[in-house]
Amino acid sequence: MSALPLASPRPSPSTAPRRHLEVAPDRAARRARPKLLPAIVTMSGIGVILLAQLMLSIVLADGAYTISDLQGAQRDLQRQEQALTEQLEVLSSTQNLTANAEHLGMVASGNPVFLDLSTGAVSGNPTPAGGSLTGSSGNQIGNSLLLGSTLVDPLPTAGAGASGSTVDAGATADPASAGDSPATGGSTPPAPSAPGTIPSPTTR
Amino acid sequence: MTPSRLTARRLALTLFAVFAVVGVFVVKLVDIQVVRAAELTAAAEARRSSEVTVWGDRGEIVDANGTVLADSVDRFDITASPRNVSADGTTRMTVDGTRVTVPTAEAIAKIAEITGTPAADLYTALTTDPASNFTYLVKSVTLETFTAVFDLDIAWVYSELRPSRTYPRGAIAGNLVGFLGTDGPLAGTELQWDECLAPTQGTSTYERGADGVRLPGSLVVRQEAVDGGTVHLTIDSDLQWFAQQQLAQQGTAVGADWGTAMVVRVATGEIVVAADWPSIDPNDLNSVTPENSGARIFTAPFEPGSIMKPVAFAELLDRGLITPQTQLTVPNSYTNGMPRGVVISDVFSHGDMRWTATGVLMNSSNIGTVLLSEKLSNQDKYDSFREFGFGEPTEAGFLGEDGGTVKTAQQTSADVVTAATQMFGQGITATSAQMASLYQTLGNGGVRMPLTLVSGCEQPDGTWVDVPVPEGKRVVSEYAADQTLLMMETVASQGASRDVVSIPGYRIGAKTGTGEVAENGQYGSERIVSYAGVVSVDHPEYAIVVTFGKPDTMKSSAAAAPVFNAIMEQVIKSFRVTPSTEPAPNLPLTW
Repeated sequence: MSALPLASPRPSPSTAPRRHLEVAPDRAARRARPKLLPAIVTMSGIGVILLAQLMLSIVLADGAYTISDLQGAQRDLQRQEQALTEQLEVLSSTQNLTANAEHLGMVASGNPVFLDLSTGAVSGNPTPAGGSLTGSSGNQIGNSLLLGSTLVDPLPTAGAGASGSTVDAGATADPASAGDSPATGGSTPPAPSAPGTIPSPTTR
Repeated sequence: MTPSRLTARRLALTLFAVFAVVGVFVVKLVDIQVVRAAELTAAAEARRSSEVTVWGDRGEIVDANGTVLADSVDRFDITASPRNVSADGTTRMTVDGTRVTVPTAEAIAKIAEITGTPAADLYTALTTDPASNFTYLVKSVTLETFTAVFDLDIAWVYSELRPSRTYPRGAIAGNLVGFLGTDGPLAGTELQWDECLAPTQGTSTYERGADGVRLPGSLVVRQEAVDGGTVHLTIDSDLQWFAQQQLAQQGTAVGADWGTAMVVRVATGEIVVAADWPSIDPNDLNSVTPENSGARIFTAPFEPGSIMKPVAFAELLDRGLITPQTQLTVPNSYTNGMPRGVVISDVFSHGDMRWTATGVLMNSSNIGTVLLSEKLSNQDKYDSFREFGFGEPTEAGFLGEDGGTVKTAQQTSADVVTAATQMFGQGITATSAQMASLYQTLGNGGVRMPLTLVSGCEQPDGTWVDVPVPEGKRVVSEYAADQTLLMMETVASQGASRDVVSIPGYRIGAKTGTGEVAENGQYGSERIVSYAGVVSVDHPEYAIVVTFGKPDTMKSSAAAAPVFNAIMEQVIKSFRVTPSTEPAPNLPLTW
């Protein structure tokens, strides 16, 4: 304690007013200083990303529903195709075809005759077509899938055939004879050839 | 204690505690992430995901031309949840595009109307257990009905897919195709080729939301379903129909119990027709009685009678023991070595006939056949029958196929009657398939081709498996086979039914057979009548065997002749068999 009074305050070495001093920011400090622009960019970037992801999810979900719908449609169409194939197979069954053929007045074919191309010889005993394939008792071989009548109506078919031949007549026959009965026009079957020659259609 | 030591101890304690806690966490982590990982993942998956069965289709059975004989179709079971039926007795449904609330009874009536089921049955199904969540309303409805019911949009109605089977050709080849029961195949090709036909069910697992839509990005584990393969039969279904139709008409006319017809392609042994009458319609299992639901043609051996005689003649010709011109005096009865009281006679009585070997065959003389066969030992006879394929099932290998019975040389040594009678087809049994194989062998110059009914299994990827490799086996010499056919030709050209079976321009080799049927150890008045033959003799292409069992009004082979003729004509037309070019030699019948 005794030594203290001996010391007198010394005048300050400088009389100039004391300047405000601070530590000069080094590079790191400068960088650490918050800046507005990057903040905005970052924040809006995050916002855009989130928004994009949301939209993406929405689109994906929408796509999932579309896929689901289309898969359902595909399944339905496959089922429909199968059901139609099933019907077609039943309609193309021998029983149905025979019944329809007989209904339309078709007859069983006669004996086949063979033409040997190398010698021109004809072999076989031709018989005229005729008779029923099923006989008088009708089809005996059941098919429980054929429910009800699947016989086609011969009338529309005949009508279609007639109109078809009329068109043929108009297209191919001589214009002068086209006005005549269409039945004797272009739809006339080729004239039977002399025996021993090959039947050939009449050409103009 | 110094303060520094105290600090150190505290530090150690703290560290220990920290490590202990971390240790506990690590153990739990390993337990969850490693030890129970699979189990927990599965549990988590199960909460979020669902597994759906992906159905594969059972394969088709098709004929030689690809005509579908058996096909898979979708059927639907309409089910309901009685628990969800509103207690206030009303149901919301859509009628003509508008949503209406109607009494539940009316909704039931509507379903009944669409499905054709009695409303009372539906009502019972719904009310039997009102707390239940599942009941069948209608089983196996078609897509059309199913769509109609679901257009009603009733909340308590659900559905199940039920893969089913349909047989578009009905009873055509129904005997061969077989059928399925509720739990799988029961008969015929369906059962025998199940391994080829059966599909492999797949599964599809994915996470889905409450409305059943798959969550985007969720994991899909898909086990693809594999469709079944296609079984290709060798038969021609149109010709099969024709044969069945002929059998049905004639069988009804002569009052037969059953009939069979088989057509075999001579060069390959392929079975083109294996017709049974009656034949089951696999769509309707009640269409015939159970004993008629199978394929008698493969499974029911019988004593064939005289259509067996060509075996004896071919064998004798092969050994050079006879020629078609061998002269023989045939008496009215045969008793050589027979026990007392046993007399072998012919179907008609005659004096001493001066027949050639051909005459014996043409007149179907039992006495003459036995006389000629005396040159063969019992062992020779047995070996010959076995060589021709008798006594074991044919290579067609149909389900439950029977091989018939041929008595061994040992057995026939003790049974002299059978030793003689087997040469004319009594005391020996065979199926129609085996008989057809005999005629195939004779038509193929003595080379027996294994019969085939299935030409293979076509797998979904287009590859074929189980394709038979037919390997012929020579049974008799070509000379013996051809001469036997020439001898048989006299049956078709000069026999009693020549006007019925002859086809102008074609040389047909045929043999008649009228087998006696043993019942309770005795031959009675019942007959099994057959007509078998080959078209044509100069270039054999098809072997045909027609048989009727126990006809009432016509107990001779004449009952089978018209069907034999009709089928042969149809075969000629279908397969374009060319007419014969060489004239028949007209072998002498008498001397």
